[in-house]
Amino acid sequence: MTTASITLQDWRAWQPGRAVHADSRLSVEPRPSGASVPAMLRRRLNPSGRAVCDMLAALDPEAQRILLYASRHGDGERTLDMLYALTEQEPLSPARFGMSVHNATLGVHSIASGNRRSLQAIAASGAEVAALFSEARGYLAEDERDVIAVFSDAPVPERFAAHVAEPTELAAVVLHLSIRGGRSIDTHTCALSQAGHVRAPQPADVIAWLLGEAPLVCPSRQLAWTLSP
Amino acid sequence: MTNALELELKQLIIDTLELEDVTPEDIDPDEPLFVEGLGLDSIDALELGLALQKTYGIKLEADSEETRRHFANLRSLAALVEARRVK
Repeated sequence: MTTASITLQDWRAWQPGRAVHADSRLSVEPRPSGASVPAMLRRRLNPSGRAVCDMLAALDPEAQRILLYASRHGDGERTLDMLYALTEQEPLSPARFGMSVHNATLGVHSIASGNRRSLQAIAASGAEVAALFSEARGYLAEDERDVIAVFSDAPVPERFAAHVAEPTELAAVVLHLSIRGGRSIDTHTCALSQAGHVRAPQPADVIAWLLGEAPLVCPSRQLAWTLSP
Repeated sequence: MTNALELELKQLIIDTLELEDVTPEDIDPDEPLFVEGLGLDSIDALELGLALQKTYGIKLEADSEETRRHFANLRSLAALVEARRVK
């Protein structure tokens, strides 16, 4: 590959379905506090949003870094609730609408932290990790020193579950990426015969990769990533 | 105007706007509801307007001076509900 290498400076992760892990960067707390966000803003965040905001506060304490956010499905529950309301010809809840958009969590964090830098929200149909690394490379190639990448997802609403090939696990992970120092993230091409049986990477898979428990492969892009020790 | 209506409206605000750690006693009927005082924002104003429509059948113009006056504090909101409720 001719892609510029990037490095991992630090990370935080949240996976409430997981067993408690010795690595303190992984939280399994079912109800994250969202303490980094004032109560009047926090009330609109679901547990996943609270976890993401707290992890962002930990990895971007000065609120000065570029923020990338990826989620394959976004907040399906809130969106579906609105569709149900529309079919009943009920007016839409403005707060629910405001929080259903893909960049809602980053928006709340941006208001709470005062971060006025660029923020991006991505959905990539199962190639979110590849998209995040690609976007991060772009910013880093333009002399940005640090980029924060969030990958968050939740189970799709029950009504749509039958249309999803793999159940989605509730989890979120935040990576502090750079091009100097830290652990190198190397990109490799991966033959379809090797990648074909692997599911599209979810936040839970990125967490397993960070903990050294599993490889990280994107079958649709035929890419794999390794993390130097 | 009754204290019962004010209490009902306080609870409506807390429930509708999902205010964390706020009790009816925390809402001073003469303090501003928006920005200062309770600290509600523009999305809350829209959400509260919707709740008044659903609960009491009161329709308000979203961006009128009159609506601003009604939303000034809990006491003015209670006066609006008492005068204009149809359910």
